[in-house]
Amino acid sequence: MAVIEVDSLTKRYGDLTAVDDVSFDVEAGEVFGFLGPNGAGKTTAIRTLLGMQAPTSGGVGVLGRDTTVESERLDALADTGYLPANPQFDAQATGREILDLHESIKGGSRRDELLELFDPPLDRDIRAYSTGNVQKLGVVQAFMHDPDVVVMDEPTSGLDPLLQARFNDFLRAERDRGVTALFCSHVLSEVRRVCDRVAVIREGELVAVEDVQSLLDRSGKVVRARVAGDLPEGAFDLAGVSDLTTEHVDGVTRVSLTYTGGMDALVDELDRYSLLELDVEEAPLEDVFLQFYGGEASA
Amino acid sequence: MLELARYGARRRLLGMLALSVGLSAFSGLYAAFFPSFTTNLDLAEYVEALPPVFVEAFGLRAFNTIEGFLATELYQFAWVILLGLYLAYSAASLIAGDVESGRMDVLLSLPVSRARLVGEQFLALAPGVLLVNVVVAAVTWVATRAIGYPIGTTDLVVVHALSLPYLFACAAIGLAFSVVFDRASVAQRGAAGTVFALFLLESLLTSTDYSWAGAIAPMRYFDPTAILVDGTYDVAGAAILTAATLVLVAASQLYFRRKDVN
Repeated sequence: MAVIEVDSLTKRYGDLTAVDDVSFDVEAGEVFGFLGPNGAGKTTAIRTLLGMQAPTSGGVGVLGRDTTVESERLDALADTGYLPANPQFDAQATGREILDLHESIKGGSRRDELLELFDPPLDRDIRAYSTGNVQKLGVVQAFMHDPDVVVMDEPTSGLDPLLQARFNDFLRAERDRGVTALFCSHVLSEVRRVCDRVAVIREGELVAVEDVQSLLDRSGKVVRARVAGDLPEGAFDLAGVSDLTTEHVDGVTRVSLTYTGGMDALVDELDRYSLLELDVEEAPLEDVFLQFYGGEASA
Repeated sequence: MLELARYGARRRLLGMLALSVGLSAFSGLYAAFFPSFTTNLDLAEYVEALPPVFVEAFGLRAFNTIEGFLATELYQFAWVILLGLYLAYSAASLIAGDVESGRMDVLLSLPVSRARLVGEQFLALAPGVLLVNVVVAAVTWVATRAIGYPIGTTDLVVVHALSLPYLFACAAIGLAFSVVFDRASVAQRGAAGTVFALFLLESLLTSTDYSWAGAIAPMRYFDPTAILVDGTYDVAGAAILTAATLVLVAASQLYFRRKDVN
């Protein structure tokens, strides 16, 4: 049975349709990415899922409970963790006071363990917290009651790279313990590290639900290189190369291309040249949208 | 249960202590001035010279007695107007403040019903209101004895006790604004404006043919002058205020339960 069910969900604000007939299921023990540019409707969808607003039409459920019905929603929320985008806490309170309040309501069996991984300054007023510390407090409160399902909106925003990596490791370990997670992000590289499947949403509409690996295979890499001398005829004439541009300046050639083929073939090709510099990175999400779903990627 | 109320009450404790100290100073100051007022001025003549509407609005009767003096200066002014407005204003930020700041998202993810959330936020005001009343009652009792014009203990206790339903009714008006509006400043202005308008309605219309309109004002049901000067206690008024408070809180809970929090 699906742990999170979203069935033909539509949410309108007057004339604006924020979420348009979106359906997907998240299975038990899965980390599910909800991917889309800012303003695509991700936050509206998950806030509706958790009952902060009512759907205009369609159904939402968590742990088999209809979250539009308050009594059922409260049952589901007892076993759910939520980390909103840019979480806000009482600025005059200390982190400890906030966690004490949360613990008194929903429990805190894993509080100490989480505080060893994510350690906001508990005795300081939250108004003196950095963005990263607020985010750490948000992570601790989301997981402290050992929830079965966790819904997170841009969970690593504000965390430094070290903590992002720690959070991603933590989330993978949670998945291995059987925790189900819905993970909103506009950063493809983040989603690929932790998610099993991903739903892509744009302008309120679901454009794809895919296995992460297949999305990555299709989205490819952006390859940039500086090569000493000129490129020979037929350079980078490989299967999977697109958008090839070359520019020759002062005896150095700058190459840029998008690559969706096998890595060995790319390495063999690069090996033919004298490389001064090489960058291989994932294609930006916007490009993936343009490439596979047509139209203009809205930012 | 009551975790949110306890948390909210603790967070308000310092502010309410400061308010208690401020109003105690107010009470002490009036008590200190009273002996020289009453011996050097003909207060009865002074009251007669004031416009009748003003006399009515501030319950100016027996102004040359400590009871009448404090009923007007401390209880009509500081309690009915200042504290009433403060509670309406303060309660108006209870829900709207959390919605506006985004804190409500985290609160709504807790397994707590919307009705309980609204109810507990409202209850969080209660300990502070009790604290102000206990502290100022004690200070007034001591101060009036220190100046040699002791105020009756029973009447003093009753004026504070019967002010509670009045103050909670003002807070309930604030709460209603707080669930309807998403911006704290709008809710606060609306609530404080409404309570002040109700005060004007009751006091300006009281000697006209339209005095019936003042029946919707909470001030009609709490009269410090009647308690302190005449020793008459409007228990029915307190019951009406309590009922109105319960209705407003229940309506706020119902409204917030159905509301989309953005």
